[in-house]
Amino acid sequence: MRLAAIDWAMLETTLALGVAPVAAAELVLFRTAAVEPVVPRSTADLGLRGSISYEQLLDTRPDLILISPWYENRARLLSRIAPVANYSIYEPGRRPYEAAIAATRDLGRRIDRSAEAERAVAQADAELASARTRLARSAGRPVLIMNLADSRHFRVFGADSMFGDVAERLGLTIAWSAPTRFGAFPAVGVEALAAMTEAIVVNVGPSPPSALAAVRESPLWRAMPPVASGRFVGLPAVNPYGALPAAQRFARLLADGLEALAVG
Amino acid sequence: MPRALVGPWLLWGVLAAVAAALSLQDVLSSLSAASAEVDRALVLYSLAPRIAVALLAGAALGLSGALSQAALDNPLAEPATLGVFAGAQLALGVAAILAPAMGALGREAAAFAGGAGAATLVLALAWRRQLDPVTVALCGMVVAMVASSLSAALILSRGDYLFALLIWGGGSLTQEGWRASAAIAAVLGFGIVWALLLARPLGALAAGEIGARSLGVPTPVIRIAALAIGVLLAATVAAEVGLIAFVGLAAPAFARLSGARSGRILAVSPVIGAILLWLADSIVRRLGEGDAIPTGAATAILGAPLLLWLLPRLVLADRPTAPERRPRRDPARMLAVLAALAAGSIAAALWVGADAHGWRISSVAEFAELLPFRGPRVAAAAAAGAMFAAAGVILQRLTANPLASPEVLGVGAGAGVGLAAVLLGFGAVSWPLQMAGAGAGALAALAVMLAVAGRGRLGPERMLLAGAGIAALCLAGLNAVVATGSPSAFALLAWITGATDALGPDQAIAAVVTAAALAAPAAATLRWLHVLPLGTATARAVGVRIGAARLALTTIAALLTGAAAMIAGPLSFVGLVAPHAVRAAGLAGAGPHLLGSALAGAALMTIADLLARTVIFPYQLPLGLFASLIGGGYLLLALRRR
Repeated sequence: MRLAAIDWAMLETTLALGVAPVAAAELVLFRTAAVEPVVPRSTADLGLRGSISYEQLLDTRPDLILISPWYENRARLLSRIAPVANYSIYEPGRRPYEAAIAATRDLGRRIDRSAEAERAVAQADAELASARTRLARSAGRPVLIMNLADSRHFRVFGADSMFGDVAERLGLTIAWSAPTRFGAFPAVGVEALAAMTEAIVVNVGPSPPSALAAVRESPLWRAMPPVASGRFVGLPAVNPYGALPAAQRFARLLADGLEALAVG
Repeated sequence: MPRALVGPWLLWGVLAAVAAALSLQDVLSSLSAASAEVDRALVLYSLAPRIAVALLAGAALGLSGALSQAALDNPLAEPATLGVFAGAQLALGVAAILAPAMGALGREAAAFAGGAGAATLVLALAWRRQLDPVTVALCGMVVAMVASSLSAALILSRGDYLFALLIWGGGSLTQEGWRASAAIAAVLGFGIVWALLLARPLGALAAGEIGARSLGVPTPVIRIAALAIGVLLAATVAAEVGLIAFVGLAAPAFARLSGARSGRILAVSPVIGAILLWLADSIVRRLGEGDAIPTGAATAILGAPLLLWLLPRLVLADRPTAPERRPRRDPARMLAVLAALAAGSIAAALWVGADAHGWRISSVAEFAELLPFRGPRVAAAAAAGAMFAAAGVILQRLTANPLASPEVLGVGAGAGVGLAAVLLGFGAVSWPLQMAGAGAGALAALAVMLAVAGRGRLGPERMLLAGAGIAALCLAGLNAVVATGSPSAFALLAWITGATDALGPDQAIAAVVTAAALAAPAAATLRWLHVLPLGTATARAVGVRIGAARLALTTIAALLTGAAAMIAGPLSFVGLVAPHAVRAAGLAGAGPHLLGSALAGAALMTIADLLARTVIFPYQLPLGLFASLIGGGYLLLALRRR
């Protein structure tokens, strides 16, 4: 089965099923912003997710094109190339981790790889379980999961995001309770941390190095209770709108980061 | 001091007092008796530096505007109209990609290099026209639009990673310490020293070149020194807090309105700039939590009425345009050439593609397979190009101004505001509704423009300035919406760059049908188009009802622009280039001008589409970006020759 993945979460899912897609979108950025899983060199790059090259896609002769609802307005054009399968992991009122499991199983059934799908789900569950054990000491702690944009602004991920969902499954609680849009709340200022006396702040990359330096050096950041008491963890880049591989990567990196915090 | 001049200063005192009261209340409410360590830190490292940065940045921008205006003897010169902000934004984006580890000093250097580079380019282009205000403003607008288009493409190509650049575009004064204030204060101190040194020479310049020569310093040195300081001030503010629009324009304008003259303007503008930004920021802080409303967006909105008020009162020598010597060619032959050009471009766009090894011409089998994908894009691009060009012809003839066009007159950007309103109001809506919103926005922008500039038959120069102002305002507003980072913001950003990715057969058919539907009424107006450029008296003499004709033409031009902008974005300049070039080629009659321009517009836009699709295959560039590069380049050449 020759698969083409327009959506990054479905690219991850395909790789989790042990299939190398013939084509996927925006691989240059994926390799630095999502990192895992490794995309084989043989996979053709389709260009920007917002502006994919239909001609390149046509050239790779896919049998099935995987999209998410974000790309729905291109579905008709894409279906001229190959059948289109639309998988939704991020939608209001549905927990992303469960949705990612469902998408993995659905795709596995569709391409006759149900066994691989079950293995991928089991692997993800195991990774989360192991991270939960490692974080037993932090159980119940509130975490504020964010992504620094610059030294003064960050995005916050709510409980409805993949990061929030995974953190809750690891036994943590989500410090951000205000409403979010598609799991994230854009452009929050540093002051938001003033009231979070108990929270551990977790920054998920990619963030500009200058912004991370500001957290260490700027007096306002250092006065915020979580930072003042050293409860700031910087994680490498993880895809915030990913599937099971992103959830696993986040769980592993979060456990590493929080363990280091407890030790240090 | 004469009594008449006390009033304005009293007003500024009151405004400063209001800002002070609002700030004081904020500080006191945070520092109640029960306040903890954290609250004190918030006042000391967030609220207080924010007030300081508002004052300092306002003063720096006010001084920057006053220096630029004195140096160029141009009441509309300011960092934004000189392209400084757009250049700084582009440089910051490029630097963030090439050298992400760069510190604050690196950011400042990059912003200065970009801002100074853009300003230098603008001045170099306008040099041959002796830096006359209109040429400077137009070159500035073109450079700014092309730079903004490139920045938007950059943000889109790097996704979330350049989110910081989006926030920058909104101009947020949020602070996390005193570093930014210190940096701006240092540069402001430096600028004030230089302003003191330059005040007398600049005053002599204003009095006339002869007076200036007696100072013993060559006048270009004085002008360049003043501009360099102005750019340094603005670029520092840009690097530290982002895009703060219109303070640099407003502060010197208010200084003049309050009665300050020549040298005093340099002294008063920083004070007024500081009060303006302080007040705007105090109000914005009250209206929304955090960065709900970016301060830069608020100042842009405050700047709108000022600009509209200022324009009709500008003292501009409306110089008579030199009678053009145009080659008269046989219209039928020229039209045949243009038709062949359009057909050739369309054929090339359909047949030529790229793969991993470079460009290639498709075989017949490949062509049949690729047609469903290339066809809609090419059809939509050709229709958009033709519609922009037709709108340009109408506007150029309606205003008797060879440089009028939907882009230059701010109609395209107005379409963007209409689209933004629809997207924000109703979320993801259908294509026809988006098109209607864009059309309504275009109509509103054009109506405002004609109302402001058209009253009492203003000269073409002032009309172009009004358009440049409206375009800058609309784009600042769009920047503010984009700065929220919501899903509609990314849709809007894609639209600004003219991304054609989602164009399917439906949209292509809609575009072609719209173009055809609007062609009929446009053809019916040929007589008006022929007569109106000859002047109102002539037009009336041959029995044209001027009011009705203007209304009908305006409406058609706005609808054409709205529909075309939905496909190619607002910044393509095709609506300027095609009519201008076709006229220069000798098609002077209304009918041949309209038809020829439509063909040329279609050709330009399809070539832009071909390039956008192939240059960095498989990554695609937005169509509008290429069209603006081609059109902007042509416009700059035309402005130099004008």
